[in-house]
Amino acid sequence: MLTAADLAVVAFTLRIAALGTVLIIGPGIAVALALARYRGPGKSILETLLSLPLVLPPTAVGMLLLSVLARRGLLGRWLDAAGIQVVFTWKAVLLATMVMAFPLLVRSARTAFEEVDPRLDGLARTLGCGPTAAFFRVTLPLAWRGIVGGTVLAFARALGEFGATVMIAGNIPGRTQTLALAIFQASQVGRDDRATTLAGVTVLIAFMTLWTAEWLTRRRNRRVAT
Amino acid sequence: MIEIAVELPLAPFELRVAVRLGDGVTAIMGPSGSGKTSLLEAVAGLRPRARGRIALDGIVLLDTQSGVRLRPERRRVGYVPQGAGLFPHLTVMGNVRFAARGAGSRVRAAIESLELAPLLDRYPATLSGGEQQRVALARSLASDPRLLLLDEPLAALDVGLRERIVPYLRRVHDEWKVPVLYVTHNVGEALDLAEAVLLLRTGTVEAHGPALDLLSRPAMARAAEAGIENLRHGRIVAHDDQGGTTRVQLDDGQALAVPLSSSRLPGEAVNLAIRAEDVLLAVEPLRGLSARNIIEARIVTLDRVGPDALLRCRAASASGSEPRPWLVRITPSAVDSLGLVSGQRVWLAIKSHSVRLL
Amino acid sequence: MKPVALLILAPILFLRPPAVAADDVLVFAAASLTEVLRELGGSYEMAHADHIAFNFGASSDLARQITAGAPGDAFFSADAARMEELEQAGLVDRGERRNVLSNVLVIVVPRDAKTTISEPSDLQTLRTIALANPEAAPAGVYAKKYLGSLGLWEPLKAKVVPTLDVRAALAAVEAEHAEAGIVYATDAAISKKVRVAFRVPREQAPPIVYTLAPLARSRKPAARAFVGFLASQGAAATYERHGFIVLPAG
Repeated sequence: MLTAADLAVVAFTLRIAALGTVLIIGPGIAVALALARYRGPGKSILETLLSLPLVLPPTAVGMLLLSVLARRGLLGRWLDAAGIQVVFTWKAVLLATMVMAFPLLVRSARTAFEEVDPRLDGLARTLGCGPTAAFFRVTLPLAWRGIVGGTVLAFARALGEFGATVMIAGNIPGRTQTLALAIFQASQVGRDDRATTLAGVTVLIAFMTLWTAEWLTRRRNRRVAT
Repeated sequence: MIEIAVELPLAPFELRVAVRLGDGVTAIMGPSGSGKTSLLEAVAGLRPRARGRIALDGIVLLDTQSGVRLRPERRRVGYVPQGAGLFPHLTVMGNVRFAARGAGSRVRAAIESLELAPLLDRYPATLSGGEQQRVALARSLASDPRLLLLDEPLAALDVGLRERIVPYLRRVHDEWKVPVLYVTHNVGEALDLAEAVLLLRTGTVEAHGPALDLLSRPAMARAAEAGIENLRHGRIVAHDDQGGTTRVQLDDGQALAVPLSSSRLPGEAVNLAIRAEDVLLAVEPLRGLSARNIIEARIVTLDRVGPDALLRCRAASASGSEPRPWLVRITPSAVDSLGLVSGQRVWLAIKSHSVRLL
Repeated sequence: MKPVALLILAPILFLRPPAVAADDVLVFAAASLTEVLRELGGSYEMAHADHIAFNFGASSDLARQITAGAPGDAFFSADAARMEELEQAGLVDRGERRNVLSNVLVIVVPRDAKTTISEPSDLQTLRTIALANPEAAPAGVYAKKYLGSLGLWEPLKAKVVPTLDVRAALAAVEAEHAEAGIVYATDAAISKKVRVAFRVPREQAPPIVYTLAPLARSRKPAARAFVGFLASQGAAATYERHGFIVLPAG
């Protein structure tokens, strides 16, 4: 059964994943919209940069983040001077999950925006909507399904993030240990029973996440027949 | 009055239009790719690269020289694109109400005008093409526009549906008194609905004037190859099962025999279409002809449309203020050999089978 | 739209960072010290108001984290070399280092294994030998040096299964993923699933020295106090009970 320490790990993992996901929704939608709508010289560079965390091994991403944030890194030295600690704290876990989850959200949201008839925005404008109103009343509702799907994907990725996390946050019980890391740790010291229990919890959480997403998109879907 | 003097780069050419249009219905015609849709979009404010001047009754929408460029949401120009462009996530009511912001009376009036009451809770995906067009029209009207831009509203519809919409378009202009710019390929529509026609070719104005005056232009002639229709409105009078016909009384008093349609009830309103190509013309009263409809008329005008001749004839029995002329399309050799002239008395013969109930 | 918004926003309500409070004393310590330090930490907490937290792992990995800026208060390494690195980086004051413990290497095999290893050269008959990462983790480095001194490293190199730290090596043998492993005697003592096949005599093994120091950037007096306690006579009995060799002070 689950010990208090196990429950703490579960709670920590859920909070970090949820917080990380919530924090990337706004920027993710903005970036996805920009990629879907605008053509410009910097676009392909941005697209490639965004796809990197999807393609690189997570440990490589973690290594890159660490080289920037560590005490002697580009950003790290300023943080260190200011007395702000990021690496090997919960903030690093949050950062790792956000970096790894962001591209997934952007990808899904972008596809969703691209599938919205581009004329509809202009039509809404002729009907009296400013650009923001047109976005919230027409584009966003029509892209909703893809955005929800992307958010769920991002959340699931955040839940399971391991490689980058272990690089910049370590596996410090009570401070930076997520479910994925705890499973690894338990198996490493021969506690397969604990590892299996925790893995089971992960399956349960993933199941509930996906099921909620299905439910959310089904409600919308009933009305918008494509 | 609508002043348009715009330039807009389109690959591969540039749109350059400088015209003054009246407050009625203006049809915009021309070959595909000549910039008709781009012109509408520029007027609606959807083309940031458009330069020049656009003014409606003195209200300036665009004036590059004095730095005025109203954003689309401020222009109050209603735009109905090809394919209606309804918002798929809203019901018909949601769509029509979209711009209204509390002006309930306009919404109700639009719904009534376009006869949308039975459709209000439906979603666009479940509507037919014609129904979608009507909703799009109502949506634009409910936004209280100063000008209505319609981009080939009937193009996506099959022929039967097309003529169902024309009465609504006519009603829109008559009841709501909004100037209309209306892109079409159909000469019959232009002749029927428009006071003036603007002919575009590779981005420039080839001609601008009353529809009939432009009939001989190649652009119009090519469009007319698809056929020109006489559209009429009337009521069912009675059915003759034995004889195989139904009697219809047109609004202008003319009686017609049409193919038996017992599904329609006496007294019911009905729209009819008769192709100009299907009307026979004689210079003597007709006897012993199988055609059930003989109409005595006078030739009003004779024009060329492409290789053919197009005659407008006024029925002798026509009553009412603006009786619609009958359009008759025959070969120029027929005109010559019969010696047809304006003012001449003629008899038009229309088989009941040539009348289509819409 | 509203219930959806709630669902998304609800987790923000749990917006507090996790369990361990920021003013705990956080000690980074070699994996082999897990049980003994938990015990010492527990008894320290009962006598004092401070809360002690530990981050156990391979000393090499821990040193890396500290160098990168991890927020630790003290470091208890299984070898002096890692401490040297930190000292060179200015993260540890030389004057505050203490050599506290030593240990003994053993060759372990699964308890019920039929394999008979009575001396190191017998390892050549096996297929897999678990070692804590011999390139970095102290236990593995010691083991590699030892085998090298016997001329056995080259023949055995290919059989080595490197693990993250010494406890992982132990676990590998317990689970019979490896037929034998080289760990500390103190590790073998806590496991019921392995038995010691050979005990490396101290004079033949490389010198094993556990070094302890507070981290220079830690501003917690509690950290230095706890370090003092760990190096004191009061802790010695506990270390010995767990099988460690307490080095004379100085």
